[in-house]
Amino acid sequence: MTVLLIRPDSWNLPLLLHVGGAMALVASVMVAAVALLQGWRTSDPAAASLKRFGARTLLYAAIPSYFVMRIAAEWILSKEPKPVENLTWVGDGRLAADAGFVLLVIATIVANLAVRRDPESGLGKLAKVGASLSVVLIALYVFAVWAMTTKPS
Amino acid sequence: MYRSRRMGYSTLLFLHVTSAFTMVTAAGLFLAIALAQRSERHSATALRLAPAAAVLWPIGSLLAIVFGVWLALHDSQYSLGDGWIIAAIVLWAIGGAIGGRLGAGYRRVTSAGAGADPSALALNLALIVTLLVILIDMIYKPGAS
Repeated sequence: MTVLLIRPDSWNLPLLLHVGGAMALVASVMVAAVALLQGWRTSDPAAASLKRFGARTLLYAAIPSYFVMRIAAEWILSKEPKPVENLTWVGDGRLAADAGFVLLVIATIVANLAVRRDPESGLGKLAKVGASLSVVLIALYVFAVWAMTTKPS
Repeated sequence: MYRSRRMGYSTLLFLHVTSAFTMVTAAGLFLAIALAQRSERHSATALRLAPAAAVLWPIGSLLAIVFGVWLALHDSQYSLGDGWIIAAIVLWAIGGAIGGRLGAGYRRVTSAGAGADPSALALNLALIVTLLVILIDMIYKPGAS
């Protein structure tokens, strides 16, 4: 027995935006995490630059990517012929996306606040919180990819 | 039997998609390095991002093709001779070559202190376009029955 793998053509565009947005979101959170973690590890003047770079990446790349991913997800769900609200994988995806958004907003605020308060020094406590949350977000996104691809029921 | 086949397909799809995400993440790091290198202020930042990109790119691209081919062989609906799969493999090779050149260039800058490659931004744009076309190919599957 084979699984039906071809979806209706009308689903392709929202799926492209959903997956593309998710990839851009993961990539930008990863760039921010690497920049902030590298800034955490060093005490030289590069730390301030890394902090600023990580904070700006969260604000200008990760947040817009999140909205593309999330809006496209609802667009696809609206095309489902049967209600899917109670399916486990839909719930898992929503949980990862919505809880992830709260963490992403907190990480973005604290990292940018750290840049604003002390633009010329190393990470400090606030930016370290931002760095830690970015790592948690990456783990959450791996869970979301697992839920979306394996669709546990 | 159905369940185990379904499980196998799902696991392979998860590994394939996760590898693709890793590739895109490395491409994001490549782009961040190119953008950071454009200003003197952020050039030190670029050097700090290069090691992560140099690790993620080869791992992500290698695993994406391995699990992608495995997926095509595993499922009877797919064949390695399908036009959209051949196109994806050709595009993957093009992307791999561009990413390999970018990674090597950034390694030179990091280890030998060489100047930034002036073509890095153009190569980054070419890599992003290639990855975008692969994604479109994977989702629209042109020619699939």
